[in-house]
Amino acid sequence: MNAGHRRGLSSLLLAGAMAVAPHALQLPLWVIAIFAAGALWRYLGERRAWPRPGRLGRIGLMLLILVAVFRQYHTLLGREPGLALLIALLGLKFLEARTARDDIVCLFLFYLVILGSFLYRQTLWLGAWALLAVTAGLAALIHVTQTGGLGFAARLRLAGLILVKALPLMTIVYLLFPRIGGALWGLPTDAYSGLTGMPETIQPGSIRSLSESSEIALRVVFDGAPPPLRELYWRGLVLEQTDGHSWSRLASPSIGQMAFTATAAPRRYQVILEPNNKPWMPLLGLPREAPPGARLKSDLTLVHEGPIRERLYYTLSVYLHYQTAEPGTAVRARNLQLPPRLSPRVRALAEAWRRRSHDPLQLAEMALDYFRHEHFVYTLHPPLLGEDPVDQFLFDSRRGFCEHFASAFVTLMRAAGVPSRVVVGYLGGELNPSGDYLIVRQSDAHAWAEIRVSGRGWVRVDPTAAVAPERIELGSEAVRRLEEQGVALGSLSADAVLRAVRLDWLARAVHTVRGYWDLSDLIWYRWVVDYGKDRQEQFLSALGLMDLSWSRLLGLAFSGALLPVMLYGLWWLRPRSNTDPALVLYRRFCRKLARAGVVRAPHEGPHAFAERAARRRADLAESIREITTLYETLRYGPGAPDRSSIARLKQRVAALRA
Amino acid sequence: MPPVAAPAQILLGRRQLYLLPTRYGLLFALLLLVQLLAAINYGNGLAYALTFLLGSAAVVSMLYTQRNLLHLRLAVRCVSPVFAGETARLQIHLFNDSAVPRYGVCVMHDKTEIGCVDIPAHGHATVELGVRTAVRGWLAAPLVTLTTRFPLGLLYAWSRRVALDPACLVYPRPAGPVPFRATPPPCFEPAPGNHAGGEDFIGLREFRTGDSPRQVDWKAVARGSTWRVKQFGGGCQATIWLDWEGLGADDVEKRLSVLTYGVLEAEQQGMVYGLRLPQTTLPPANGEAHRRACLRALALFGIAT
Repeated sequence: MNAGHRRGLSSLLLAGAMAVAPHALQLPLWVIAIFAAGALWRYLGERRAWPRPGRLGRIGLMLLILVAVFRQYHTLLGREPGLALLIALLGLKFLEARTARDDIVCLFLFYLVILGSFLYRQTLWLGAWALLAVTAGLAALIHVTQTGGLGFAARLRLAGLILVKALPLMTIVYLLFPRIGGALWGLPTDAYSGLTGMPETIQPGSIRSLSESSEIALRVVFDGAPPPLRELYWRGLVLEQTDGHSWSRLASPSIGQMAFTATAAPRRYQVILEPNNKPWMPLLGLPREAPPGARLKSDLTLVHEGPIRERLYYTLSVYLHYQTAEPGTAVRARNLQLPPRLSPRVRALAEAWRRRSHDPLQLAEMALDYFRHEHFVYTLHPPLLGEDPVDQFLFDSRRGFCEHFASAFVTLMRAAGVPSRVVVGYLGGELNPSGDYLIVRQSDAHAWAEIRVSGRGWVRVDPTAAVAPERIELGSEAVRRLEEQGVALGSLSADAVLRAVRLDWLARAVHTVRGYWDLSDLIWYRWVVDYGKDRQEQFLSALGLMDLSWSRLLGLAFSGALLPVMLYGLWWLRPRSNTDPALVLYRRFCRKLARAGVVRAPHEGPHAFAERAARRRADLAESIREITTLYETLRYGPGAPDRSSIARLKQRVAALRA
Repeated sequence: MPPVAAPAQILLGRRQLYLLPTRYGLLFALLLLVQLLAAINYGNGLAYALTFLLGSAAVVSMLYTQRNLLHLRLAVRCVSPVFAGETARLQIHLFNDSAVPRYGVCVMHDKTEIGCVDIPAHGHATVELGVRTAVRGWLAAPLVTLTTRFPLGLLYAWSRRVALDPACLVYPRPAGPVPFRATPPPCFEPAPGNHAGGEDFIGLREFRTGDSPRQVDWKAVARGSTWRVKQFGGGCQATIWLDWEGLGADDVEKRLSVLTYGVLEAEQQGMVYGLRLPQTTLPPANGEAHRRACLRALALFGIAT
């Protein structure tokens, strides 16, 4: 093995490590270990002259890798087995490498490995990391293919410079390259687990567990000013069935168009919904039309065709103020269903109210008064409840989270003969001042109630509001902060609460940074992850380029990219006026002599000219000869010209008084 | 190294440069195609971005490849004259007048790579080239091509073949027999450098300081011509004439070879020798300068200068 072959090994291994690193989060560890072992073996093989496996050994190792991948995935095809195979075999390829060609092939394959990591996630972080990995890859390519005149830093700089110049070009092609809807071949269905979202049934504690998660559920951009927080009830799903312990959705989802009368003009907003592996699309207000791929249900919810496994981006035009149609008898009957074993205490309480009034709204008010005056406490840390949670909550513990209040309220209403149901979704959100959009997190999950009022349809009642108005007015984050300070909710005046939840400067700064981070993530999402056929059409029509055919768009992409390159190239490769400082100074010297009447003929070499000039101007002969010698040494002498000689030449030329 | 007086220089302009992908470039294009298909299939924005970034980098590297050769100045210098059949050693100087260093510039001659060099900004680099010679005279300008794969090895730029006149003299191939008697007549006083004794007038040469005034051709001086010295040969001195006519009716090249051999031998044996060719006569003398003058006359015999 010669020294020439060893060149670039460290760069190669660095580029490989950077390309493979993101896969360590997904692929089985042994795949990464095989790659690392191959790299290490190669390194020791060249630095310490360790023996490498022979041909038979390599074939054996390859079969071993194939078997191991097959045992792991029971197939060799598909995204994940393919990537595992690629990375493990790259480790083996290190051992096989005999020539620079093998190393170059490895470097090319690293780019496929980088692309493979995008198939798992497309975050801003990964994009940034990939940019670094590509830079390292280019630097390694420079190292492997070029003679050794460039050092490590110079190679990195050159690679970075090439990429910086490539970025505008890439942007043009990226934006204009025609996107198609759908895939060329079938997409694998693996890897959609670990997503959080609203549960389909709730029982005491199920929403509370969500409230621990600061993960983002959805982002909303309103056209115009967003409505106040307390009006932002994002309906997720409606729970109509109960067994006394948990509440669940109807087994057969209610189908049919929602019926309502709008009482105000529609508002528009865009939603970016995070994947949650569930079909619910939280809805503020009621739309006339569902976005593509989703359906409106008669219980006034919006449901996606299938589980939501990637971010959804859609625009809705909704009525925030509306009056729903009168529910049918079947629906009314369904929403009077009570748990089979309703506790006598609950029944007695409801019947006592029922005797005082039959009006649903008055009954609801009685229930809320009960919550207000019987020392109920809204808390993020409620006690565990036993067999009959409603009874226990209403009469014993009296400490609960929104789901406790909602389910107890609905049970009481139904016992009092009012059709009612539990609604689960999100309440409020947080306005990101950096981007002027609303962030709704999983911790904003909320449960409330709807009661049927004759003549007005379904009316929303939020029992939590009676106990903890802070939750409704200030949002879940404020509640958390109040709890941390040990303040009992509902016990402080509005001013005191505002003071209590005010952030100190550090928390504010962190908050601002987080806001900007989320904004950049949103921009990243809109321009990278979601930049498909629809977004491209939007972008192009904003540019005034509508209804372009696929082929014309392709032509536009490439001509739009190549034209700037050609113009830049023409400018960059233009014949430049000679910048050799020695020559510039010599020309100044010639001009000075020319003014004195000694003009250098085009054919005259510096030496001949110096002799002639020295004869003509004997008074200057010494400096003429010195300048010429200096110039000749600088220009034709060995090695790079040194600064001190240039400085001396400059000084001599300046001192020449012709 | 002495300052290089560059007799013939060629500046590589844009029109003299060509560019094509290497086989790694083609492989890279294949990689980009695979990546593009993956990006389209998965509708993956980052994959699109990566593919286009790599493609754009390749396009940008085109400019770097082109610039690596652009406006390089070439000059060729002959290290020393050679005899036909020997290998002439030429120095190819690559001058970089720009402020950007050039890396991995290779010189190709006759489809083989002679060497690759890095050229510093405002500096130069040298590649040595050996050219086998066959015929006497001025060495035919070797055709040289500059190539580079800088910076990524994906593209190959090369210059049009340029012919650089090295001003390299090829002497005739020396060949026997020695065109004079193998052993010169015995000599009692060793032949002095300038002054050849004897009685027979053999010719005139330029006056040099130190020549005896008795030998100056005063008649000619009186006629107004320059000072010349009468030279006498014969007698006890190793003065010989290498004469074109005395070699029989052999062909021209053979005669020149024999005379060349004669010059080398005579010089080596310390003889005083003159060369007589149909149009030229070099009066007897010896020393390195004389030898070179004789060889030059032989090399350029019959060649229009």
